Amino acid sequence: MLSRSAQSLYWLGRYMERAGNLSRLLQLQSESLVDRPVREIHFGWSRMYNYIQQDPPAGEIRLFGDEQFVLADSFALADDLTFERANPCSVFSCFSQGRENARHTRHCISQEVWKCLNTAYLRLQEQDIATVWQWEPTTFYQSVATDIETIGGLAESTMYHDDRWSFLQLGRYVERAQGAASLLLAQVDTTKESIDQEFHEEDWISLLRVFYALEVYNHTYGVAVLPDRVMDLLVSDPLLPESLGRTVRLVESEIAAIGNGPYSRSGRALQRSVGRLSAMINFEWPDEEEPITLLREILEGATELHFLITEAYFDYPVQAPA
Amino acid sequence: MNFDNYSLEPSIYDEMFLPGGEPRPEAQVLYEALSELSGQDLAAIQGRVNRTFSSESISFTVYGDAEAEERIIPVDPIPRVIQAGDWESLSLGLEQRVRALNNFLEDIYGPARIISDGVIPADMILECPQFRPEMRDFSQPYGVWVAVCGTDIIRVNDGFRVLEDNLRVPSGVSYMIANRKAAKASLPRVYRSCRVQEVEQYGAALQATLKELAPYGKPDPSLALMTPGVYNSAYYEHMFLAREIGAELVEGNDLVVRDRVVYMRTTEGLRQVDVIYRRIDDDFIDPSVFREDSLLGAPGIIEAARAGNVTLANAPGTGVADDKSVYVYVPDMIRYYLGQEPLLKNVDTYLCRRPQDLEFTLDNLADLVVKRVGESGGYGMIIGPHATREERDDYAKAVRADPAQFISQPVQSFSRAPCLIDGAFEPRHVDLRPFILNGLQTRIVPGAFCRVALRRGSLVVNSSQGGGGKDVWVLGDDQEA
Repeated sequence: MLSRSAQSLYWLGRYMERAGNLSRLLQLQSESLVDRPVREIHFGWSRMYNYIQQDPPAGEIRLFGDEQFVLADSFALADDLTFERANPCSVFSCFSQGRENARHTRHCISQEVWKCLNTAYLRLQEQDIATVWQWEPTTFYQSVATDIETIGGLAESTMYHDDRWSFLQLGRYVERAQGAASLLLAQVDTTKESIDQEFHEEDWISLLRVFYALEVYNHTYGVAVLPDRVMDLLVSDPLLPESLGRTVRLVESEIAAIGNGPYSRSGRALQRSVGRLSAMINFEWPDEEEPITLLREILEGATELHFLITEAYFDYPVQAPA
Repeated sequence: MNFDNYSLEPSIYDEMFLPGGEPRPEAQVLYEALSELSGQDLAAIQGRVNRTFSSESISFTVYGDAEAEERIIPVDPIPRVIQAGDWESLSLGLEQRVRALNNFLEDIYGPARIISDGVIPADMILECPQFRPEMRDFSQPYGVWVAVCGTDIIRVNDGFRVLEDNLRVPSGVSYMIANRKAAKASLPRVYRSCRVQEVEQYGAALQATLKELAPYGKPDPSLALMTPGVYNSAYYEHMFLAREIGAELVEGNDLVVRDRVVYMRTTEGLRQVDVIYRRIDDDFIDPSVFREDSLLGAPGIIEAARAGNVTLANAPGTGVADDKSVYVYVPDMIRYYLGQEPLLKNVDTYLCRRPQDLEFTLDNLADLVVKRVGESGGYGMIIGPHATREERDDYAKAVRADPAQFISQPVQSFSRAPCLIDGAFEPRHVDLRPFILNGLQTRIVPGAFCRVALRRGSLVVNSSQGGGGKDVWVLGDDQEA
């Protein structure tokens, strides 16, 4: 297929996945505002900004330990992460970029997907934080996340599973892999930066919930939440839908479906890289000494995938065909 | 009762009613159905149509001062009905006209007999900015320069008139199909009982036409639709058509020319392109031949076409034949090339390059429409009766300064059709743009993009100037009254 269209589909997948991840995090965060201690809420916001590798709008999130924080700061932070047009990582910006990429390739996606995506976008465009805050923020974030999952489900059931589909999926999975590695690192970094630097079980429970993994964890390991076990589950469990290990396997299979691309050298470099990533997760994890170092390497590997994909399929050097 | 306040004027053809106020036989069924609808029903219909267009984002782009705006095209849900016999004669006239225009282009870029025989003045062609000397001695498969033509037709009391031939990159066909979808959804039962002819086969017809024009009659050629990009006002249509005809939607940067062969950059490497349905203007298609500052084109594409390795549809340079002054000579072209009398009439047109026409135009500015020959889309024109004295004076100055750049026409009292305006039926002026496809044979899908001047009393139907669209129902043969 046309490289530019493939690239747009890939970005469509990435942006929608990113918007979905952020909505999920915001949904859980807005739930925590109802009854969790101020410290935990602070941790949640800090983790989110660490995850997107950005500073919050005011430079830092100060914790005064009182109710003011919950009400005023949370409102401003949620606005920044949800609707702020100037923040490229806000849910709205990601959705809007996703929709723009879809608009470029409307002829490559099914009409059902376009219609669903466009309608969801128009709905989002009409919202603002004041309204959302007044009427159940949790329901709002849940509905955005559901919209994105519906788009994914519609794509699955209405699009022909050829290269177009594979590039869309590839974008989703690359984003998911990067996002998962970033979030796990953000968890560790935020713990280190936190005021008491202590282990709080609830911070890890909320991490499990982000990955839809709390029940599985309880079922497998019991109710005592230990960071190492949480990490193990989220990094390497082959059955957990959004674990790093499973996501990288999905990346591998999409690349296999697409093939090497026009220049086998770039294609092979890509396959090597994804193979290395997979080996790190499957054979080197958990590194007893320094899991963090390995996690950083995994994130680097996942980030490198993006550049190798671009080189192999979209931006290759043009020579006269034989 | 819905039509109680609907006004008719004897000088203006109404698409639904006879001058006496009785519904036309072909519109009888529609009239009856509409008469039975309550205000609530009508509001529901309008709302449904608007929502469909907005959720699918059936849009065009308007350029303001600051930035491009993606706007949903306004659609009126009440169809315009054309009886089979009228359509038949219109089609024959269009086919004849486009055949002559293709002959003209083949001639003008070749031996130019029509000039040496004194039918058309040489300077009119040579000075026309749309004449592309670069295209001299170019040959197109089967002499088809214009593969896709969208002719603007108006209806007056004594029949159809051609207002304009669009031979470069005519647009609007996607709205024809979208409007049909909307009309079917709004008035499903009436649609069924009217036995309307289908238009959905347009994509298949276009694909067949383009494939017929492949270089060397290559079987199963690869098609690409070339767009200036997502910021073009007709991008929705480009995307829509690319999907309909199974073409890749390419931009200049996606194309690479090597050894006079055009390739597109795919995820599996370069792949040859055989036919390019280009929706990008001549100026921008190839910076090595036309505008060298074009970032939208692909250098070398014209050379590849000249070598016969790729077909461009439409060919560059076709704009010379839809120039507003050359238009006057189309009936002569039909006589000259085909030896036939034109089946479709032009509207009366005065060429300001002719001294007596200039004088007439300046004397009667208040009653005429004056247009700049090089402009389109409703820009650069003045409608005398609707302009202020000052505007007319300013315009007259411009005309005097360079008369050859202007033509004038009597204000056309072209037809009106009922439209749903704020919950009631009101007459609005409408035109008609049918699409004529030319490959080895001519194909005309029985339908058209009907443009509506949505502002009361307005004669400007262009989407960029507040116009909208509505569906056109060409009835089947058995519907003849």
